[in-house]
Amino acid sequence: MAALSSTHCRSYSPLQSSSFGPSSSSSSSSSSSNLGHFQRVSVSSVPKRFLAAKVYSLQSQTKSVARMQDGAVASTITPIENETPFKKLKDGLLSVPSPDECKDAVGFGINENDSTVSITVVGASGDLAKKKIFPALFALYYEDCLPKHFTVCGYARSKMTDAELRNMVSKTLTCRIDKRENCSEKMEQFLRRCFYHSGQYDSQENFAELDKKLKEHEGGRVSNRLFYLSIPPNIFIDAVRCASSSASSGNGWTRVIVEKPFGRDSESSAALTKGLKQYLKEDQIFRIDHYLGKELVENLSVLRFSNLIFEPLWSRQYIRNVQLIFSEDFGTEGRGGYFDNYGIIRDIMQNHLLQILALFAMETPVSLDAEDIRNEKVKVLRSMRPLQLENVVTGQYKSHTKGGVTYPAYTDDKTVPKDSLTPTFAAAALFIDNARWDGVPFLMKAGKALHTKRAEIRVQFRHVPGNLYNRNFGTDLDRATNELVIRVQPDEAIYLKINNKVPGLGMRLDRSNLNLHYAARYSKEIPDAYERLLLDAVEGERRLFIRSDELDAAWSLFTPLLKELEEKKIIPEYYPHGSRGPVGAHYLAARYKVRWGDVGVDQ
Amino acid sequence: MGLSDSSKNPCQKSLSAQILKWASTQCCFFARCFLKFNLRLDFGVGTAGSPLAKKHIEPRGKKGSLPFSELDNVESHLSITIVGASGDLAKKKIFPALFALYYEDCLPKNFIVFGYARTKMTDEELRNMISRTLTCRIDKRENCEDKMDHFLKRCFYHSGLYDSEEHFVELNSKLKEREAGKLSNRLFYLSIPPNIFVDVARCASLGASSENGWTRVIVEKPFGRDSKSSGELTRCLKQYLAEDQIFRIDHYLGKELVENLSVLRFANLIFEPLWSRNCIRNVQLIFSEDFGTEGRGGYFDSYGIIRDIMQNHLLQILALFAMESPVSLDAEDIRNEKVKVLRSMRPLQLEDVVVGQYKGHSKGGKSYPAYTDDPTVPNDSLTPTFAAAALFINNARWDGVPFLMKAGKAIHTKRAEIRVQFRHVPGNLYKRNFGTDLDKATNELVLRVQPDEAIYLKINNKVPGLGMRLDRSDLNLLYRARYPREIPDAYERLLLDAIEGERRLFIRSDELDAAWALFTPLLNELEEKKIVPELYPHGSRGPVGAHYLAAKHNVRWGDLSGEDS
Repeated sequence: MAALSSTHCRSYSPLQSSSFGPSSSSSSSSSSSNLGHFQRVSVSSVPKRFLAAKVYSLQSQTKSVARMQDGAVASTITPIENETPFKKLKDGLLSVPSPDECKDAVGFGINENDSTVSITVVGASGDLAKKKIFPALFALYYEDCLPKHFTVCGYARSKMTDAELRNMVSKTLTCRIDKRENCSEKMEQFLRRCFYHSGQYDSQENFAELDKKLKEHEGGRVSNRLFYLSIPPNIFIDAVRCASSSASSGNGWTRVIVEKPFGRDSESSAALTKGLKQYLKEDQIFRIDHYLGKELVENLSVLRFSNLIFEPLWSRQYIRNVQLIFSEDFGTEGRGGYFDNYGIIRDIMQNHLLQILALFAMETPVSLDAEDIRNEKVKVLRSMRPLQLENVVTGQYKSHTKGGVTYPAYTDDKTVPKDSLTPTFAAAALFIDNARWDGVPFLMKAGKALHTKRAEIRVQFRHVPGNLYNRNFGTDLDRATNELVIRVQPDEAIYLKINNKVPGLGMRLDRSNLNLHYAARYSKEIPDAYERLLLDAVEGERRLFIRSDELDAAWSLFTPLLKELEEKKIIPEYYPHGSRGPVGAHYLAARYKVRWGDVGVDQ
Repeated sequence: MGLSDSSKNPCQKSLSAQILKWASTQCCFFARCFLKFNLRLDFGVGTAGSPLAKKHIEPRGKKGSLPFSELDNVESHLSITIVGASGDLAKKKIFPALFALYYEDCLPKNFIVFGYARTKMTDEELRNMISRTLTCRIDKRENCEDKMDHFLKRCFYHSGLYDSEEHFVELNSKLKEREAGKLSNRLFYLSIPPNIFVDVARCASLGASSENGWTRVIVEKPFGRDSKSSGELTRCLKQYLAEDQIFRIDHYLGKELVENLSVLRFANLIFEPLWSRNCIRNVQLIFSEDFGTEGRGGYFDSYGIIRDIMQNHLLQILALFAMESPVSLDAEDIRNEKVKVLRSMRPLQLEDVVVGQYKGHSKGGKSYPAYTDDPTVPNDSLTPTFAAAALFINNARWDGVPFLMKAGKAIHTKRAEIRVQFRHVPGNLYKRNFGTDLDKATNELVLRVQPDEAIYLKINNKVPGLGMRLDRSDLNLLYRARYPREIPDAYERLLLDAIEGERRLFIRSDELDAAWALFTPLLNELEEKKIVPELYPHGSRGPVGAHYLAAKHNVRWGDLSGEDS
């Protein structure tokens, strides 16, 4: 049922979840069957992209279901209209090896003549908007993933004409390397759909003007509206208030994407959530964590749950430790103002790394639906011990001269106070006190201005009990254990370190990699995380967005530590710009009998 | 028991008496122990504790010269006699392997190689003949010519009959001359037809055994045609040789990836939990050659593919694959476990076997002959050139898991591999992504023995992109890419092991018996009932019957799945 409703749900879930529609949709729980059904429906637009071959065999049943729901929800869909896109979809499903997975855009076809999506980028002149959001929207358009009727509207305080916005946007648009044809044409078409509206972020009036403009473009069709808040957190609520009260859709859905920071600690985060919820329902809020949109993070669940060989190993019985590693090879470079107020723990650990940890460690969800997955993630977070100060090492980079070039210290950044204690590096040991993970250290490490740019998950397995080849390793069993590495960036790859015999007449063992290098296997460009997340938001797929209770649970793990760091004015360990980070990270690891896998000899 | 070398063991002369006493009942063990002991001295490891402690550790290939230079202290001398020196195997494999060992400094300082055959030939002629097949390691060409010359100077020839004790006595005196009073160790490699194995063993044992060192005899397959003839051969050999003097070679066991099989299993945490009926759905052992008998079917026709490949090579690999964890890596411990596997297996049933024979085939204007077109093969021969079989191990670990074997000549590809197909994921969340064919979505571990040694693990992963499409990809390790060094030939390893007295890769008599016991009833039935093999075109993928056999046991051959065939 989930599989088949998935083929249709996208068409009406938008209708249903209109914020001003009948109050059917609070998706925080699935207790009522009505609700449960609805959630499944709204969520399972993902499987649409799954290209399930099974779907079509159940076609007739599906149709009747759809009709029934159509009747209940909106009368705009006639059975005939219903038929065509379904066939198209079926074709898409059957051509499994087709590289064009955006065929599912036909899913929009059901409504294509009467619904429209307006995407408003609030803070359109900002960096993120220019570098990520507009290019991602264009890529989606380019791949035929956006509905037929859509408009993109930039909103900011600067005065600008539509042409100026288009000019600005056009500078950052790029085409997929592997499909250059028609690119300029497509760009033209895309830019013609882009508009600009200048206004204050806290002015209901200005948003009402925006609403009017949007209505013009919507031309009487069912109106779905997505607001992307690419603005500083202190004006989140103002913008949400204005957008919600003056520019909400009258007959479709209205969704709001917000980016981190979601507060600085439990209290401020809760206040923000409370503020947002004055104007938005839980299922209208899309908290983005762009790390969750990364290809290999998506693949993590696939690896675990669709391969027999990993699940038996996925517990304290076989896994010795898990390492989540993030590093950047540059500092704040004159833009430390925002960062200094947050620090690396809030900026990277509490969200990106913790989210990956939760995905990694969660129990098998009932299904792949957003609520099922997020329920499991919350369980992991709630099973974790809040971080203790002694399980954390913080660092800050200092200046370093190498080969005649001097790299600045963090506090050399003009936007950073000279006496700042804000950590630019942190390592932490976390524990999940549940049956699966009891005693297994989860080590996190994140830093700026390190020697390399890297994001990866490392799973170190235990040693082989009673290893027959023990003596071949000498005494260092640590170096002889298996390790699974999921490299998120750069150069996406999965590899498994195994012990094998060095070819030759002797019996010498060696660690080799069983590996899958994405660039070699998949020549296609891997889409940017923002593309996936924007598409998901348009489709109402919430799997990769953070629910309020997840956010609360995440903050409650980190808040006590963050407070203690600040109250006790803990001085970070200094490390040279471009180095491997403070050595304290090694001592922290050693305390839990772990050796960082990324700075070993044979990484 | 003419050749027992137990009482006058070299070790007693030179080295730690404690260790020697400890092992004093196992004569041949001494030599190995002795070598290793020297090794241990080289590496500065004390003598205390168990003499076994570092037995398999040291890289013989690289540092092999060390123990032997130590050995010089006790003045030992190794004589390797190739009986049947003018034969094909000797020329193509044995002499080149010996040269490679010499080239890599793996042979003792004092050694000679003697060719023995009926042909009249001078030493020079032998050297001339051998020199044509010697090659140098691709990655180490320097001094190769020099080394070849040195090696050839150590090669001699003696002409004689295979059943003449007298001629072997002459050989003995020649060997003695070369040994010049040193401790003499002698290795005989019987590269001759099986019907004269026993004659040669008798003559060599009575006429040319070492008096103060060890004497070992390497024999190659065929070891009989069935339980009875194999039992008879063993009984006859044992009249002249002790069990530990007999080295039955199965050159497949010397292949790099077969050696690696145990390392993978026992030195990695991640495989052992999966290694049972709980996770493994079936195991496939596949061997194919892309050529037929090509005028040399005389020997083959009286044996057939089952005896030639399955009963030995594939069954040995199966036993290594399926055995329980041995107490140690010592030869006896490993062979004990292998025998246990073989003895837990059901003898093969006719209905679990498909036999085939290749027929003529024209392709692109070229025609390929049928098996029976071979002039050395009777026109009405029913000998299988292809066979597929399903075997079962009735023990706790493997109950119900089909082990499928397939071996054939004149198939479209040359290949030897082990495929492990895992079960499907129970309650797979991504089920709908695979449609209904769960078979295509299971994990598979492939150990490719040849060509292009490789290990790969098929996993399901997400196709990068905005959709959620799953795909099978390989986590792989291609040996050529990882290890640019040339991989030694199986014969090199096996010869070196025989010299060192390492028996791990040789087949013990009880193993051989157990192996024959599995196949003999079937072989008899095939012959008695004159089962007609299914004909398949030369160069094809083999008879389709193999698929039906697989289907019967819910298996799909991994090598013909289209993905990587």
